[in-house]
Amino acid sequence: MSPRRLWRGVALGAVAALAALACVEDVTSPPSCPDYCPGGQIVTVESLLAGAIVRDSSFTGYRQAPEAFVMLAANQPGLESRPIFQTLPIATRLKIDTGSDTTTGPIVVDSARLTLIWLRRDTTTRTLRLELYRLPLGLDSTSTFAGLAPSFGAPLRVVNLDSLLALPTLHDSVTGDSILSRDSLRRVIVVSVKFDSAQAPFTPADSGKVAFGVRVTADSNATLVLGSVEAGEGPRIVWYNRVDSAGTLVSRAAQTRGLLFDSFVSNVAPVTLDSNLTIGGIPSTRTLLRFALPRNMRDSAQIIRATLLLVQAGPPPVLTGDTVFLQLSRLAGDVGAKSPLALDTIGARSPLFLPSGNDTVRVEVTTLLRYWQLDTTAAPAAFVRLIALDRSDTTRIDGLEGTTLTTLRFFSSRTPAFQPTLRVTYVPRIKFGAP
Amino acid sequence: MRTARAAALVLIALAATGPVLGQDSPLSIHGLGIPGRFESVRARATGGAFAAFDQLSALTEASTAGLTRITATAVGAHTVLNDDFGGVTGSRRTSRFPLFQVLGTLGHGVVMGGGFTTYLDRSYRVTIADTITLGGSGQAVTDRLSSDGGVTDVRFVLARRWGRLALGGGYHLLTGSARVAAVRIFTDTSTYRGVTESEEIAYHGAGYSASALLSLPHVSISGFWRTDTRLTSEVGGATVAVNDLPQTVGGAIRWQPAPDVTFAGSVLRRSWAVAADSNAYNTTSWSAGADVRLGGVPLRFGARGGDLPFGPGGHAPSELAVAVGSGLTLSQGRGVIDFALERLRRRSAGLTETGWTALVGLTLRP
Repeated sequence: MSPRRLWRGVALGAVAALAALACVEDVTSPPSCPDYCPGGQIVTVESLLAGAIVRDSSFTGYRQAPEAFVMLAANQPGLESRPIFQTLPIATRLKIDTGSDTTTGPIVVDSARLTLIWLRRDTTTRTLRLELYRLPLGLDSTSTFAGLAPSFGAPLRVVNLDSLLALPTLHDSVTGDSILSRDSLRRVIVVSVKFDSAQAPFTPADSGKVAFGVRVTADSNATLVLGSVEAGEGPRIVWYNRVDSAGTLVSRAAQTRGLLFDSFVSNVAPVTLDSNLTIGGIPSTRTLLRFALPRNMRDSAQIIRATLLLVQAGPPPVLTGDTVFLQLSRLAGDVGAKSPLALDTIGARSPLFLPSGNDTVRVEVTTLLRYWQLDTTAAPAAFVRLIALDRSDTTRIDGLEGTTLTTLRFFSSRTPAFQPTLRVTYVPRIKFGAP
Repeated sequence: MRTARAAALVLIALAATGPVLGQDSPLSIHGLGIPGRFESVRARATGGAFAAFDQLSALTEASTAGLTRITATAVGAHTVLNDDFGGVTGSRRTSRFPLFQVLGTLGHGVVMGGGFTTYLDRSYRVTIADTITLGGSGQAVTDRLSSDGGVTDVRFVLARRWGRLALGGGYHLLTGSARVAAVRIFTDTSTYRGVTESEEIAYHGAGYSASALLSLPHVSISGFWRTDTRLTSEVGGATVAVNDLPQTVGGAIRWQPAPDVTFAGSVLRRSWAVAADSNAYNTTSWSAGADVRLGGVPLRFGARGGDLPFGPGGHAPSELAVAVGSGLTLSQGRGVIDFALERLRRRSAGLTETGWTALVGLTLRP
């Protein structure tokens, strides 16, 4: 190869190498502030916005006891709540022959089993006893604690749930009661209570319909949460029966029935709404908060943290031992008490807490505020609901409204010294472009 | 023919990577940035001393007079820079295409053309780790502040030669943009959200220039003048800054004592102090270099020095560079590939920046 051709080859190779490197860029400099740091740096501002919550109100009646996803039993000083439910009728006559003969005979009930789903077992409860009472038929949403009180005389059955749980086989061979299953993850326990032929509350005239009342007692913290029909976890009754065929009892398959009605009644009077903000209880009460961010913050700042501070206005009107949290759900549209909730996951919730005296509850609302910055057509308002802790798995803290009697009261914007406040940490718009 | 094809392929490869502006430096953070250089590769190899006489450079218009064929030229540069902030060091490398222009004749000795060069570079990226107090407690944060882009000088030139004297004038459209971004990341991401903000800053401005070139036996003398109006910076269509731009005056001399030996020197004065309220300085730059033919192969070398207009510390940053280069003529002069290697050192308050720049220029005369 001649020197000239070699020289050309080297030259072309160098050009090609430079072209290949052309898109490579690594321009990060070590910082040396302030001399070699750019102007227009990020400035973080913390601001306490006392007037950011406006036109806040409380509304009640969202979920009544008959609509609740649980039935609450409690027996504490000044607070008693009793689940009530009525079963569906059964066939009081069955075919004698299993063939084509349609002749029927009256059933004879040998025994019955009532299956209850026990939720949110509280481990602080000691010697929890479940008392089952027979109530008059005709339970409905107008049934009251006082009206049913006379029926809570002598119980049909008393089951010591803690003793039953302590049995190695989870089965009491004397009474026939059993623990059918226990889900330690959800803290769900399925209890089966047996009624023998003498205890089975079967009345042919009522077509097997029977109304039960539940009362709990315990050495400490007498509370019990039972599943309801609304959550698909309502009690079920199984009637074990035979057919009377001219004096001969013929075995027939047991009849299983669900509920016609379920609810719970308590001696707690509904909380009266006042100038403060009330949240929780049954019927459930919500608080509507409307957020009014300053325009410069809403339009041009980047919110990096926002905390809603709610100050309790004295001791809670109703207090149980439930672990609760506050949940803020944004509104699809702000039309006051009947505002529909947005069907998305953009919201906020407080940490879990056991309500007590005059605590301040903090809720991180960064996601909500950033959403309202993005969607300026959305109503900047949210319902605050009180949720009792439930668990659907090991990671999620979950729960539903109207599953606790606990009611909290917070100061509203009508009390300027303790009004709801937003603590916002934000970065104002950076002024790029100025040298 | 094969060489012309190869040259065309190289030009396509250079063009395919896109026109990226300028070079990067922590000094780009201050004021309006770092001024670009208007030299072709062969002028850059002499420290810029020959730029006022070089048809391929964009420093003056008069130098293009006498062109007889359409000429297109492009420059590619790869830079490796090392920063020393009083013992804290960092290195960067960038690849840029700082110059492109096309010139042609209109007849009657009139040359017309245009192209673009880097006028100001506004590229930097800084990462800062810090702890700020939020909610009464310290929070660790990492900030990334960056700017990528600059101002491009799009020029249109006319020039004509009258005997020994050549005169030229130019109109300069200053345009371009920089993508600026600020990012803050909190170490505690569960409590604090990150911050990201970015904007596109658009730049507008204009300028006029004129130059004269007197060619005497063995000696050529060039004088040039340029004024730029104001640089308007806009974000989202709103003007966020208006900065005055400098006037430039300069002169250069070229001496050719023998057919294969040529020397040149130049001096340049720019009134950058008008551009900002503080940390902006008028600058004076000089350069000196030689072009020697050894067996038909050119050997170019030179040095340049002077001030940079923006920097901290109460005085202008200084710059000193030495360069060497050569060139290769292809296809009977239809293609020219020039090379240069430059060693650069800049000094400012608390900063010493050194680096190497490899340059390749491709010129086509179809």
